Amino acid sequence: MIITKKRELQELMENLKNYKSFFLIGCSECASLCGTGNQEAIDSLTESLKAEGKEVTGGFVPKTGCQVLGTKVELKPFKEALDKSDCILVMSCGAGTQAAVEIFEDKPVYPTNDSLFLGNMTRFQMFDERCSLCGKCILDKTGGICPVTACPKGILNGPCGGCKDGKCEVSPDIKCAWVRIYERMKRLDKLQELCDTVLEAKDWSQNIKPRTLATRPEKKEEKKK
Amino acid sequence: MSFKDILNSGKFVVTAEVGPPKGTDIKEMIHHIELLKGKVDALNVTDNQSAVMRICSMAVCRICLDHGVEPILQMTCRDRNRIGLQSDLLGASVLNIKNVLCMTGDHVLAGDHKQAKPVYDLESVQLLGVVNSLNNGKDMSGNDLRGATDFFQGAVVTPEANPLEPQLIKFEKKVKAGAKFFQSQAIYDINRFKEFMKYARRFPVKMLAGIVVLKSAGMANFINNNVPGIRVPQELIDELKAAGKEKALDTGLNIAARHIKQLKDENICDGVHIMAIGMEDKVPIIMERAGLL
Ligand code: SF4
Ligand code: SF4
Repeated sequence: MIITKKRELQELMENLKNYKSFFLIGCSECASLCGTGNQEAIDSLTESLKAEGKEVTGGFVPKTGCQVLGTKVELKPFKEALDKSDCILVMSCGAGTQAAVEIFEDKPVYPTNDSLFLGNMTRFQMFDERCSLCGKCILDKTGGICPVTACPKGILNGPCGGCKDGKCEVSPDIKCAWVRIYERMKRLDKLQELCDTVLEAKDWSQNIKPRTLATRPEKKEEKKK
Repeated sequence: MSFKDILNSGKFVVTAEVGPPKGTDIKEMIHHIELLKGKVDALNVTDNQSAVMRICSMAVCRICLDHGVEPILQMTCRDRNRIGLQSDLLGASVLNIKNVLCMTGDHVLAGDHKQAKPVYDLESVQLLGVVNSLNNGKDMSGNDLRGATDFFQGAVVTPEANPLEPQLIKFEKKVKAGAKFFQSQAIYDINRFKEFMKYARRFPVKMLAGIVVLKSAGMANFINNNVPGIRVPQELIDELKAAGKEKALDTGLNIAARHIKQLKDENICDGVHIMAIGMEDKVPIIMERAGLL
């Protein structure tokens, strides 16, 4: 899921100082699991905004905030409250914010969160980055542990000299990705495979932004044309 | 004779290190180069060591050549992508720089520009492959070069890494990728290094043992607690302690000289790489005491 973090109120208010009334849009998916875009988060921000002397005309948690058409339809019943607001606040990720930008062409839209990474939830509201969406997955070569993400240097062929007692040079709080890969390959009895595989430099042309994808058969055809 | 020829001739080689300064005042650096000229077989020039921004390694390599010292260009993958690295390798080649040491490089967080974007488009194993390919007249994309390079390429290894096995797997990948010589991280336990060499001798590469002078027992303890991949045995710490504050540095120089002599006399490895870290003037003293001058 996409991991988001609430902005400090002070930073938020700096953006909002010229507006009086707001409509708040959350998201029931990732941002709810992060506690940044669920109903509670909306209620809490509503309180804070009121305390700052602002008006909140309404709020809503759409099913999937980054889904443009679905969110547009879900927001229809809120037309009046939306019209009364002079600014929309989006409490999900950068994709959710830009969905709102597409829906509300004539209204200012501001994010209340910073979007951080694609993460795994390890415990309640604790998240780890394990995949950085590089575009060409190499997990099949590395025992299922991603060095592109788990190694701060993205090294593809073994630990650097900075590995100390199995910990990463960059932070003693993280285990060296290559020690983890080594241990896993050893457990799977695949050390020979690890020795024999020299991974070539990654093909970053798979990662040129912005990326698009259409998997609907008729759209695929259209894209080809 | 070139560094490569000397190394291949079987002579016990000595390399040392020069750290480019931050700023354009190079008087002191030139003094160090002159001091080591004619004594060491080659000088490593560090590449923004510890991710601290300084004069680039290539310029200082050329200055070494101008002063009659053969340089080893240290090249890290931290600050340049594959285009920058290859272009700099071609540049180094036409400046007559013959030796290159391929490394991944300390993370920017270790240095003085922590907000920089680290590159790491390649890493040490892949960079060795690139050098090999340029030597064969092709760039990384397979395009023909008008004029190939002729580098003698090396890499680093950490014999005291913990855990060791993943490090050895990487060492073997570096050998496969074309590394011809290795300079090791600092070693202090000759018996353990002998064990490592028994293993390393199975590969067709030259090995230079890393030597770092211990200035005091405090420094030794600091290394053991903080520096990855280096282990100072307790006997050496005791020896430095027994020498007292006044004589600690001198004892450290003696230990370095003694180790070098043993490595040479017992034919344990092919040479040493002395990292003086600010004590370049002590390198000739160590060499003298080791019987190399
Ligand atoms: S290699 Fe790593 S970053 Fe790339 S897709 Fe696979 S898990 Fe994600
Ligand atoms: S210590 Fe391991 S995880 Fe950290 S940068 Fe080096 S290789 Fe990568």
